[in-house]
Amino acid sequence: MIFLFLTSGLFLGWTLGANDAANVFGSAVGSRMVSFTRAAVIASIFVILGAVLQGAGASETLGRLGTVNAMGGSFTVALAAALTVYFMTRAGLPVSTTQAIVGAIIGWNFFTNNAIDTQTLTQIVATWITGPVLGALFAYVLYHLVKITRRRIRTHLLKYESWLRFGLMIAGAFGAYSLGANNIANVMGVFVPSIALETTDFGIFTLTGPQQLFFLGAIAIAAGILTYSRKVMQTVGANLLELSSEAAFVVVLSQALVLFIFSSSALSGLMVKIGLPPIPLVPVSSTQVVVGSVLGIGLYKGVRNINLKVLGGIASGWITTPVAAGVLAFLLLFFVKNLFGIDVGHSFNPPASTGEGISTAMIIRYSIPALLAVTAAYLVYLVLSEKKKTERLNKEYYK
Amino acid sequence: MSLFTRTTRELTVRIDEFFDTIEIGILIFKEGIKAYVNGDTNAFQNHLTKIDDLEGKADKLQRAIENDMIVHSILPQQRSEMVKLLWQLDEIIDTAKKSLNEFYVELPHIPASLAHDFISLAEVSGNAAEELMPAARAFFREPHLVREKLIRVYFFERETDKSAFQMKKKVFHEMNDLSLAEKAHIRYITHHIENISDSAQAAADLLASMAIRQML
Repeated sequence: MIFLFLTSGLFLGWTLGANDAANVFGSAVGSRMVSFTRAAVIASIFVILGAVLQGAGASETLGRLGTVNAMGGSFTVALAAALTVYFMTRAGLPVSTTQAIVGAIIGWNFFTNNAIDTQTLTQIVATWITGPVLGALFAYVLYHLVKITRRRIRTHLLKYESWLRFGLMIAGAFGAYSLGANNIANVMGVFVPSIALETTDFGIFTLTGPQQLFFLGAIAIAAGILTYSRKVMQTVGANLLELSSEAAFVVVLSQALVLFIFSSSALSGLMVKIGLPPIPLVPVSSTQVVVGSVLGIGLYKGVRNINLKVLGGIASGWITTPVAAGVLAFLLLFFVKNLFGIDVGHSFNPPASTGEGISTAMIIRYSIPALLAVTAAYLVYLVLSEKKKTERLNKEYYK
Repeated sequence: MSLFTRTTRELTVRIDEFFDTIEIGILIFKEGIKAYVNGDTNAFQNHLTKIDDLEGKADKLQRAIENDMIVHSILPQQRSEMVKLLWQLDEIIDTAKKSLNEFYVELPHIPASLAHDFISLAEVSGNAAEELMPAARAFFREPHLVREKLIRVYFFERETDKSAFQMKKKVFHEMNDLSLAEKAHIRYITHHIENISDSAQAAADLLASMAIRQML
């Protein structure tokens, strides 16, 4: 029965592996610096290691946002996130698994009448912005360092390229580890409170209950990488991110660093030790960090015409994805509970009274249709603008 | 990692060997022209044989380098430009060999009053190609130095054009004792010598754009 409920999470993991592994190895494979088989094997191994060894931090933060306390609820929340990712990808809209799962958890909170931890939500939303910004910053600095080093060491181009190739594999392994550590929360985070597995001793090592779930999720991610990421990697490498091998190395490394920072409890503890505020351990979108990193390199090279549409796409994704996932989760939870009679969770932390007679039920009653209307209006706007663009292009082409 | 370094070390050696071959080929060409103009047939024959061997060696090295780059997926993003550059460099030694062969087959009559002009034209055209080699080597180690090294290539290419123009003018305007066929033959041979610096310029243009891309 547990496996049946886990299928939505595993599906989400599979899509994450198929899509997001391209952020790690796409530029290397697309530029033929690293073969797909080698990249897929490295990525699969390190995603599993990252998820099992370091996946707890970001997962705890998601748990604070909403402790989904029934397997039916976890299944539905993960399904809503997966479907949102699927449909938005098909519609060609910018989407992130991280933002989808956050929206779906908020949808669950609304449905089960649980209060939303606004502090955690603020923390999560803040990292959506800081993630790409940090990616751009790291890429700018690292690219500068790489360029200086290249000039100073005066090594032969071929030797330098072989170092880069090796560096790409190491950075890719680190990127895959960080992706597993950071994004496993998206895949399995919602199942942690509802599925209590016992710690298992494997002789040479033990795996706690959450670690076993993370392991399963990581296997799904690895399956996604091995079965479906080849085409995505080649597309990303050849079309979207046509980068030099140096730039590809920098992009992968900065993305890995950002994901690592937002998932390392040791690093966060170190910050506290030296008297600085802790780093929030939050799942961040690897795609958006990659876009930030590419922009960082563009800024270094002095590119003036930064594509504002790409930035607009990211920003709109911050709103549309969680709203769409939240609305879908709410609707799915309603159906799963009322049609199939499956327990989807209960209220354990009802929101405080708003004071002037406005109940949570009223907020839900008005806010959900409002959100639906906003989403629908946005989608209509997107469709119309696309149609207008096509018409304009046709006119220009045939005039 | 050791596999990468071994392959790249072998390829680096091959590329250096290719550059050496072209460089020696240009020197042989200059000496060959000198020997012909000075009437030293034995020396000319030796130079002809040597340049023939060097051209064959350059062709083999060019193919081996291209093959290694494809098989080991080396410099995948610059491969097409690299192949083009190798082809352009090989074109220099090809043109030099063809030029010496023209002298051997057609036995052009070089009047004594033009001997110095011919030697100096071959010298300056060869210099343009010779100056290209340090730039090509720099591309692999210090791409930021390529541009300044190429300035000398462009300088010698212009000088070649000027020398050839002056020589052709002299032949057609001042040397009335030569028949039209002889004049046309000298013009044709001059054109062949000029081609070496033109090939060097084409390679220099390509190298310049490759170096800029490397530095971005």
